[in-house]
Amino acid sequence: MTAPLLDVERLTISYRIGKRWIPAVRDFHLQLAPGHIVGLVGESGSGKSTVALALMRYLSSNGRVESGGRLAFAGEDLLSKSDAEMRSIWARRVKLAPQNAGAALNPSMKIGAQVTEVLGAALGIGGAEAEQAMLRMFHDVNLVDPEKVAERYPHELSGGMQQRVVIAMALITNPELLILDEPTTGLDVTTEAVILDLIRGLMAKRDTGVIYITHNLGVVAQLCERVLVLYAGEIMEEAPVEQLYAAPRHPYSLGLLNSVPRLGQSKADSRLHSISGNPPALAELTRGCVFAERCDFVIDKCRAEKPPLEQLGDGRAVRCFRWEEVTVYPHPKSNAPSVPRPTGDDSEASRRRGPAHRDRLPPIAMGGLRGVEKNTSPLQRGVRDEERVLQKDDRDTDTLMRVTDLKKHFPVARSLGDWLRGKKPAPIRAVDGVNLTLGAGQTLGLVGESGSGKTTLSRLIIGLQERTGGQLELLGMDIRNSVRERSPDVLSKLQMVFQNPQNSLNPYLSVRQALRRPLVKLRGMTPAGAEAEVAQLLRRVNLREDYADRFPAELSGGEKQRVAVARAFASDPDLIICDEPVSALDVSVQSAVLNLLARLQEEHGTAYLFISHDLAVVGYLSDVIAVMYLGQLFEVGAASDLFQPPYHPYTEALVSAIPVADPHHKAERMLLHDVLPSAQRLPSGCRFHTRCPRKIGAVCEEEAPPWREVDAGHAIRCHIPLEELSALQHSFLRREEIA
Amino acid sequence: MNPSLFSRQIAALRHFAAVLLRRPQSALGTALVCFFLFLALFGAGLAPYPNPNDQSHAVRVSPTLDIGALRLGEHPFGTDRLGRDVYSRVILGARSIFRIAGLGALISVIVGSALGLYMGYRGGWFDELLGRVIDALLAIPALVLALVLVGIIRNLDFEIGSWQAELADNVVLLVIAVLYVPVVARVARSSALDIKTREFVEAAEIRGEPTTYIIFREILPSVIPALVVEASLRFSYAIFLVASLGFLGFGARPPSPDWGLMVNENRGGFYQLTPWALDFPALAIAILVIAVNLMSDGIRRAVQKGN
Repeated sequence: MTAPLLDVERLTISYRIGKRWIPAVRDFHLQLAPGHIVGLVGESGSGKSTVALALMRYLSSNGRVESGGRLAFAGEDLLSKSDAEMRSIWARRVKLAPQNAGAALNPSMKIGAQVTEVLGAALGIGGAEAEQAMLRMFHDVNLVDPEKVAERYPHELSGGMQQRVVIAMALITNPELLILDEPTTGLDVTTEAVILDLIRGLMAKRDTGVIYITHNLGVVAQLCERVLVLYAGEIMEEAPVEQLYAAPRHPYSLGLLNSVPRLGQSKADSRLHSISGNPPALAELTRGCVFAERCDFVIDKCRAEKPPLEQLGDGRAVRCFRWEEVTVYPHPKSNAPSVPRPTGDDSEASRRRGPAHRDRLPPIAMGGLRGVEKNTSPLQRGVRDEERVLQKDDRDTDTLMRVTDLKKHFPVARSLGDWLRGKKPAPIRAVDGVNLTLGAGQTLGLVGESGSGKTTLSRLIIGLQERTGGQLELLGMDIRNSVRERSPDVLSKLQMVFQNPQNSLNPYLSVRQALRRPLVKLRGMTPAGAEAEVAQLLRRVNLREDYADRFPAELSGGEKQRVAVARAFASDPDLIICDEPVSALDVSVQSAVLNLLARLQEEHGTAYLFISHDLAVVGYLSDVIAVMYLGQLFEVGAASDLFQPPYHPYTEALVSAIPVADPHHKAERMLLHDVLPSAQRLPSGCRFHTRCPRKIGAVCEEEAPPWREVDAGHAIRCHIPLEELSALQHSFLRREEIA
Repeated sequence: MNPSLFSRQIAALRHFAAVLLRRPQSALGTALVCFFLFLALFGAGLAPYPNPNDQSHAVRVSPTLDIGALRLGEHPFGTDRLGRDVYSRVILGARSIFRIAGLGALISVIVGSALGLYMGYRGGWFDELLGRVIDALLAIPALVLALVLVGIIRNLDFEIGSWQAELADNVVLLVIAVLYVPVVARVARSSALDIKTREFVEAAEIRGEPTTYIIFREILPSVIPALVVEASLRFSYAIFLVASLGFLGFGARPPSPDWGLMVNENRGGFYQLTPWALDFPALAIAILVIAVNLMSDGIRRAVQKGN
């Protein structure tokens, strides 16, 4: 290794809380050589962002780096530098690309001015020279039309473009160290793939050292060379990326890797591993190992003394007394449950699941799409032989919900100019003719980028938004537009779990009050009966009964989401709409909630409409998956079929964009470069043709594609004949494997 | 209510009080407001001359208050030109200002927040229509509107003892309530607009809860902090308005011991003769207004911190 760019030893960072200084990050160390990428992984509250700020000496006034540590950057001691000296270092040598690019850009300045300003301040370059440098940099970060981008304001750019501008801004002074703090967290997978690709490309050309902070293990596997796993402010494990993924040595790393569902893993195969409990509060740290309370391998010694960070050679280090016993992580391809010792409340459920369970899976044909014709010619359009398919559906299964030609067009307010010219602006067609059926007890997964209309579709079904057209049937009954018109009977059958645990519970109502209300209101229980049922509900979502008297502020994110799940189940519904229920949660907590949802579904036979941008999560919980793009479905099929060819080119792009948590999987990506077109000016013909990597020609621009049935229940809406699609995609995958 | 919930609320209140009293300015303001409130409640027992219109004293006696010697004397604030004890009148005047301003502000907060929450949650034409009316009302200066309303109602002839006459006697109180309803409604409306997009409100809608339940059980608790701040602000403005109306002769009528009225009665030529008869009520108004402002500022900070 060459002389380190960054050499950090025994770094302790404290925050002042009240009158005490509490060490948030303890005994941190890091060596980074120029041109290398190290990943910093941890859940929220693990101290990763604190480390990033401390490395730059940019902590807020209530934070400080304790003396006794070493923080050397290119051989210089940063801890003894004055603020003025630090400022010159910040200006050109160390850069931070913050998490929220939108908030990092000044909304009142044009992009170009903001970037050239950096050059002026750091290097004293101005005028045409700065302009040239900026345009070159924009070109390097793959911004299309750099001149035009420079003339725009931040709000006129998409999230991915904003992120590129921020990266360009950071790299333009040719810094020696770049810290990327969760740069892709708020972005769609498709955009994330493009940004990761960009970072990889840029780093290959430069000698910049990069610290990449993230909670996403897949991203780390794809991008980094070395990884530091951080938990509650301490390094748990340090390893080269291949070794960490092949054989984690710390129970926490193992738990993290196991709790992420892998693409293709299904609820029918195994429960996800979950790390029980919550991270400790900083103020309550004990003498022992910080992870002891949640650890599957805990022994008495762990609680009594803190394990040292043991060097294992090969650049590996682990902070655990029992690292030698931590079992090898199974290869991602195998689906065997890899839990060393199942803990927590889900163990009972997993024991009860016999091998017979697989047979209870509903037949594929049950869910999914109607109006599919076999061997349609390109001229025959989508929904045609409705009668036949409907009958088939009703005979085969007990259909829970049927959505026919559902539409939601948001009217756009007329401007004065339009009004004078007598023009009416086109509406935003958020949902534009969706047909779906959902069988009882099934999960229908809905995937697509943000802006594809997933959430609007779910809100139409639940009745929070009024539909423009189409029918909605539940158990054969026509159901009304808005919640206000629906009968209590319908209301109790349809419930919802929301995305944001912070907002889904009223902060001023206790858990008991939140759960009692639907029982009294929708199930007509007496107060006494409801009281007993509240306890029952809490037990069912693995919360202690005394949680009933807590308020949302006293619950962690995962616990809040459990209460929200309990509330949705209180009315004993037939269908629960889950709109991104785990995307706001940490990885270790996420798997527990997914397990809970899977178990409750099994016990109650409740159907889910599950929306998520995370394909692996959707794949895990779903029986049938629908892929949505610009208000329409483009592919519907059984979860087990959907992630392999033949699939729709859009599905293909989504699948290929997922960062896989396996460093050996250096895939060639199929990247979607442009942004989603506006739902107000929809592309003609196939709506995906503007971005489709497999566009075949004019037919894509002129004609709406036909539905083609792959097999029962699996259909693709594309102009390319299935055999051809399959061949193209298989050859693409093979190339990938060779690469 | 279950006991643990109750004790939680006590703890929350205690925390609120601790934060409020931590800053010296807000502690001072709160203490002064409490002092005046005490006068308003028990003034009749404290004033040396419980009848404010007792004229049995020598006229134009200078104040006998000696702060250095800690001595109040016979007429601490002196007597006015009619021989009334100014000290007693100032003490007794506290009650009317608290009754009119306090009650007026309270009514405006209750009516205004109910209206505003409903507007914000309901939206649509109802909100649109009332919003315009509120905007129009807010465009007129409060004092001018108050003068117009008081002037009109005072000039109506009512049978003595009828409820209309009763109403006319409390006209200032009602005018304050009417005047501040739009202001409070606007605050409540904007808070409701923010809260109603939260997912817990949507969860209540999915349960088919009626509008009143959603407004009062789901939305109101989150809006209360903002309303408490607004109530304290309205109170301070109301005190100012009551005093102004009294001064302009549109408030309490002579010979009632209203502070604003006392200032009015003793200005001009009389000021040369008995400056103290004007100075002390004016000082009382100033101190109370400043104290209420300090307190409401403290409440605002405490509420923000408490969240």
